[in-house]
Amino acid sequence: MAEIIGRKGFIATVILYGCAAALAHADNAASSISELKQLNVEDLMNVEVTSVARHPEKILQAASAIQVITQEDIRRSGATSIPEALRLADNLQVAQKNSHDWAISARGFNTALANKLLVMIDGRTVYTPLYSGVFWDVQDYVLADIERIEVISGPGGTLWGANAVNGVINIITKSAKDTQGLYAQAGGGSRPEDLADVRYGGALSPDTQFRFYGKYFDRGSEVLANGDSASDSWRQGRGGFRVDSDPSTMDKLTAQGDVYEGHEDEQTGGTSNTSGENVLGRWSRRFSDTSDLSLQSYLDRTHLLNPVAPLSVGALQLAGAGLLQDDLTTYDVDFQHRFRIGAANAIVWGWGFRYTHDVVSNAPALAFLPPTLDRDLYSLFAQDEVALRPDLSFTVGSKLERNDYTGFEVEPNVRLSWLLNSNQALWSAISRAVRTPSRIDQDVFEAAPPHFVLLEGGSDFTSESVVAYELGYRVQIEPQLSASVSSFFNHYNDIRSTTITPTTLLPFFFANGLEGDTYGLEFSGNYQVSDPWSLHAGYTLLKEHLHVKPGQVDINDALNETADPQHQFSLRSSLNLPRHTEFDAALRWVDTLHTNNGPVVGTVPSYFELDTHLAWHASERLEFALVGQNLLHNRHPEYGFPEPTRPEIERSAYGKFTWRY
Amino acid sequence: MAVAALIAAQALSAADAPTENQVQAVFLFNFSRFVEWPPQAFATPNDPFVIGIVGSDPFGARLDEAVHNEQINGHALTVRRFHSISEVDNCQILFIDRSEIGRLGQILAALDHHSTLTVSQADGAAQRGVMIQFATENSRIRLRINVDSARAAGLTISSKLLRPAEIIGTDVKE
Repeated sequence: MAEIIGRKGFIATVILYGCAAALAHADNAASSISELKQLNVEDLMNVEVTSVARHPEKILQAASAIQVITQEDIRRSGATSIPEALRLADNLQVAQKNSHDWAISARGFNTALANKLLVMIDGRTVYTPLYSGVFWDVQDYVLADIERIEVISGPGGTLWGANAVNGVINIITKSAKDTQGLYAQAGGGSRPEDLADVRYGGALSPDTQFRFYGKYFDRGSEVLANGDSASDSWRQGRGGFRVDSDPSTMDKLTAQGDVYEGHEDEQTGGTSNTSGENVLGRWSRRFSDTSDLSLQSYLDRTHLLNPVAPLSVGALQLAGAGLLQDDLTTYDVDFQHRFRIGAANAIVWGWGFRYTHDVVSNAPALAFLPPTLDRDLYSLFAQDEVALRPDLSFTVGSKLERNDYTGFEVEPNVRLSWLLNSNQALWSAISRAVRTPSRIDQDVFEAAPPHFVLLEGGSDFTSESVVAYELGYRVQIEPQLSASVSSFFNHYNDIRSTTITPTTLLPFFFANGLEGDTYGLEFSGNYQVSDPWSLHAGYTLLKEHLHVKPGQVDINDALNETADPQHQFSLRSSLNLPRHTEFDAALRWVDTLHTNNGPVVGTVPSYFELDTHLAWHASERLEFALVGQNLLHNRHPEYGFPEPTRPEIERSAYGKFTWRY
Repeated sequence: MAVAALIAAQALSAADAPTENQVQAVFLFNFSRFVEWPPQAFATPNDPFVIGIVGSDPFGARLDEAVHNEQINGHALTVRRFHSISEVDNCQILFIDRSEIGRLGQILAALDHHSTLTVSQADGAAQRGVMIQFATENSRIRLRINVDSARAAGLTISSKLLRPAEIIGTDVKE
């Protein structure tokens, strides 16, 4: 809900923060003044600028742990997918499970059913109500048309609503105005085997621009520890459009839509088919720089056909193999309004409504009952940012949501930001967020009746909640050197447990039997060594202490909701070489992952990995690039319980050429 | 020609993107060509064409570089910097930095009856009567032009600037 806030409130300040790294680029283009003077007015307006602090004080003052991945960051990383690009955010845990599946979370809880992150693409929420998680395989775009990805770790429930428990990811694509002309990219290698992107943008009238795009890729299988194929190759194609229009000086209209289809071989046998289509419309009206409103609506349909392996206990097969089909329709409308009261109060408020219609066709070994479920979600929020002093601002707000599972939920926050001087700031926040139940929590049956039921959803399953205490510090030490640190202490309650039926023991069922604390910090630093060379370092510390609540039982001993590294470290270098050549390298170290199979702890060993990107701009139109991924090992696991069937990620490389006209 | 320019724009964005200030500096230079001043804007034909900056200077050497060795109708382009509006005398273009936004009313009043093109990057400046406001949207510099203010000062803004710009009216509440 209220995703649009991002675009106006947070984000205006955030872009700039993200670009602080580029600050030192400011003086490198001595010749570019004369180059810029060659351009006519319209072309000059099309030049992309790195914004050096439109409001430097605000950048510093953003009262949350925000990181921004820019288009340039994505391009220079050589990423081919959104999950790969998300490795650029220091405040996320990103692990590739197999060729097509990823586990991504902020501040922990990165299980196979990770459910504490809210992800939006242009204001469209992309989580699945099957388990409140994200099917990362089907979230994709022509990466060159993504303007930026904002990653906020920490609760965002007040603005964004349920599910923004540990973080929010906002993927924002460029306006059609900024993607005019032809863009084509093609390439391949050991992985992806083939990739092709094409986009064309044009104008329908001086005030209305459009673009169409298509994207296709084919990725081979990863491997098992013994070197055998993991049989998880996949391919996916998608296409879409976006139209942006300015019918008047105050109004902006956007319409956009996408369709996709993919086929993924599954390690357990068979092929998953994924497809979907969505269309979104947005109207925004700007009254002044501090007052605007927007109304957005979308329709999103996703289809999933997944082979389900037989369910066996030891040698006893409880249910045979089958297919699970899920067809989800989401209709959503959101309104938001921003205005000021006097000089000191910046108010934002909004409401939203979402309707989901989910139809599952069940497999013998896995079922959601009832098969068809309609859910309504109503939300209302308001937030006031009060300028107590020029250097001190206090924010208070709350969301009120009504869902069909638990009724009303309240997600308040208070935030304080204090500008110590022109180049350093402190911020602090206390917030509450919830994860409302999803279908897996209440409706799941493993196996489906009349087969013997081993595990089922809990009819009394209620919302999980967090109260988070955050403290952050940002500093611009020199124009070339900036850093930020965010620390947090989170107290969780009513986290999912798997408990036993008092008299019969079985079936196991889901309850809210866990509670506990996590704490940690996220560090991020940028250093411009010289004009052509910049460095970036990131580090996260995460400690998790979940336990079973007194009087409760969890057959997994409070181990199944976490699978996270305690430490993560990354170092990236970005170097511009002579003759229009660029070389980028990204080194990451991920600590041992404790990943669990029920109450049994297994590990993914800690690892170093290295990605590189070498690009040559042969001309203004043509670019060649060579990308190496996971170069340090023949193969390494990033996720999963240590068993012979655990997929490992192979060293890979691909080449591509990009043509812009 | 249009194609050549497009390529140049892409070449720039593909390399290290220029900063807001660089592009704004080049815009200030361009304004000297796309705005027509009445003859009385210059006391003598040899007077320089002055681009003034009042408040803190966001451009540094970039603006000087942009106007270096340039002239318009025989008037050499030059940059002058002022600490406050009281120091400002004859300027063809006056850039009002956002640091001076609290004194905007005073500044505009002092420029009344002068043919000075006022420009600012402060939020809401165009609504408050500044003739051209720079705004950054989607990492691009957009122009918001208050045509009425320019007209009142006897300035004619070329359609080349107006077409891609957003036309703003003076906000009566201000």
